[in-house]
Amino acid sequence: MDYFAGVDIGSTMTKVVIVSGRIESSLIGPTGPEHRKLANRVMEEALGQARLSFDDLTYIVATGYGRINVPFADRQITEITCHAKGLQSLLPSVKTVIDVGGQDSKGIKILNGKVMNFVMNDKCAAGTGRFLEIIADSLGVPLDKIGEISLTAEKIAPVSSTCTVFAEAEIISRLATGEPIANLIAGIHDAVATRIASMVKKLNVEPDIAVTGGGAKNIGLVKALGSKFGRELLVPPEPLITGALGAALMGKDIYEKYAAEGQKPTRIGKKLEEATFFK
Amino acid sequence: MAEEKKGRAVATSTAASIPKFVRGNLSATLKAKEEGKKVAAAFIADGQDEIMRAMDIVPAWGESFSGVCAAKRDAEKYLQKAESDNFSRSLCTYATCNIGFDMMREELGHAPEGAPWGGMARPDMMLGNGQLLCDPRFKWPQATQHYQQDVPVFVTNMYYPPWDPSGDHHEVEALYVKYAKEELHETVKFCEKITGKKMDWDRLAATVELSDKTWDLFIDTYELRKHHPTPMDTGDAMNTMVPLTFNLGTQEAYDFYVSLKAELEQKIKDGVGVANPEKYRVIWAAGLPSWFALGDFQYFNGKGVVFPVEVTYRGCEKVERLDLPKTNDPLEHIAWRWVRYWTHWYDAAKKRPGSTPKVERIIEYIEDYDCDGAVFHSAFSCRSWHAGIMQQAATLKKVYKDIPILIMEGDIVDISSYNEADTHNRIDAFIETLAAYKAKKG
Repeated sequence: MDYFAGVDIGSTMTKVVIVSGRIESSLIGPTGPEHRKLANRVMEEALGQARLSFDDLTYIVATGYGRINVPFADRQITEITCHAKGLQSLLPSVKTVIDVGGQDSKGIKILNGKVMNFVMNDKCAAGTGRFLEIIADSLGVPLDKIGEISLTAEKIAPVSSTCTVFAEAEIISRLATGEPIANLIAGIHDAVATRIASMVKKLNVEPDIAVTGGGAKNIGLVKALGSKFGRELLVPPEPLITGALGAALMGKDIYEKYAAEGQKPTRIGKKLEEATFFK
Repeated sequence: MAEEKKGRAVATSTAASIPKFVRGNLSATLKAKEEGKKVAAAFIADGQDEIMRAMDIVPAWGESFSGVCAAKRDAEKYLQKAESDNFSRSLCTYATCNIGFDMMREELGHAPEGAPWGGMARPDMMLGNGQLLCDPRFKWPQATQHYQQDVPVFVTNMYYPPWDPSGDHHEVEALYVKYAKEELHETVKFCEKITGKKMDWDRLAATVELSDKTWDLFIDTYELRKHHPTPMDTGDAMNTMVPLTFNLGTQEAYDFYVSLKAELEQKIKDGVGVANPEKYRVIWAAGLPSWFALGDFQYFNGKGVVFPVEVTYRGCEKVERLDLPKTNDPLEHIAWRWVRYWTHWYDAAKKRPGSTPKVERIIEYIEDYDCDGAVFHSAFSCRSWHAGIMQQAATLKKVYKDIPILIMEGDIVDISSYNEADTHNRIDAFIETLAAYKAKKG
């Protein structure tokens, strides 16, 4: 049996997926400045979950922001391509992907699992998970609760600032004037959704549309995004692992292509070790 | 079986002489006083090059100096100086970098210590141009005059017929040329007043003739890049544009392209390309580069992506293709050349509903240079180029359904806009899109 692993090192979370004919294991752990050099440990845990050893792996693809910090990978592929691949296997009807990560957000147009076009916001925290994280922190609300809280809002309190830092200041001053927290959180979700939608709409959006990344775990954001596109958006069962799953499947494709040409790649010399990039 | 990173195969050796040109232009301003010459703060592509050269006026190219500061990653202190007087970062950073430098030089009475390559001399005059290319060309001289109030400013207005798909530009071209010619005559009068010398019209005619020859040679040279594999990339072109852009009307500029052409011909003969193997050919479709990150072109090349053509700094055309009316007046010739350079894509644009001359130019190059994709650089402070990029990209998508397009975001001078890791991530994703596109095309 051939096993293929995908390692997605995002700015916030590290994800590992191992596949054969099906998903054998998937693991999500925090990235962080120290964890980034420890992709090997997340991989060890994933291998343990699948009851496999490192030598059982046939091909490994690293993706995500920190993909260069995976010395045991056979290949690096961007998360754009891997998300498209992963989504195709999970939700084949999807033609547009909105990925809301901790540090950036992206729109990806896909056709038969291939990337046809993409847009990215990696310049400004507004429009990313980081924006919601900062606001949740300043409101003293757990990040994983803000989505649900936003759904209890009586109205959307508009937040005019498009800058994260200024929006935080605006929220604090609006709290002082008695605006309910739920309304403000709904306003923040609306602001993030507006920003993401204006970027993604550059892609000539076609349905179905799916949301992935940490942002897809926020029901308030998914609903706010849905209202901007005038339709319900799809969310895969575990939206955080789409990239890692896509990476594993890309590895499978690459390996099989080589094998078909009679050039089976070997993993001789590859060790499950930490990146020495930081030493 | 980790992915192999391939380095850039070859850059042109002729391009290695470019720093000498740039440095020479800067030092010419510093030596001008002892040589009894006047210095004019001037702007590229304003149609005034030959007038300055024929009158021994030394151009002080602010855009070039700011680019040098950026390339040396030494612009921040000048940007901050300008910002201290409320010049916003969203203004042209060529202008704000240069204004900051001017402010410091005026305060100190000499070029600030450590200024790249000695900096630029205080000008004796400033030549602006209120043409359609960009607004800093007339606001920048006005702004910097606040700090150099004794330096006279002369702003010409070199317009060309604005794009109007429902109109016929041929009917009004002559009117625009007449106006531009008058403006150039006024420029000559202004320069005569400042220098105390009369224009030598025969010398001007010879200078214009040399410029025309340089335009032709430049295009002949660059068209060699159509070859597969291309012998020269946009990464080099951002350097090899210097003689055409900053030294037009000089023998040195012409001679440079003689050497470059010979080198490219030899590379073609030897089968030497920029990338080995050359996997994808893309056009640099719009925008000035980030001067502090020119290494990104090598990043592309290292992954098999080459730029055989670019819109940027290709400010000329084969003169015969412009079909210029015959005239013995060198200023009228400059005016016609100026107007027709801009309008000669208008007829093609009219034939494609929804298109514009800028898009037609890109399409022409995509076809001629056999490109698989397009890269735009949206430099936030270069508003005149930033505006319209999305429309151009959308039109390309209509013409070449699914053609991969990368819109890079950054600036020309302000390095705070740049993140190498994110930029390379975008480039990687674009290359993967190119692979999918080519596979689909078959």
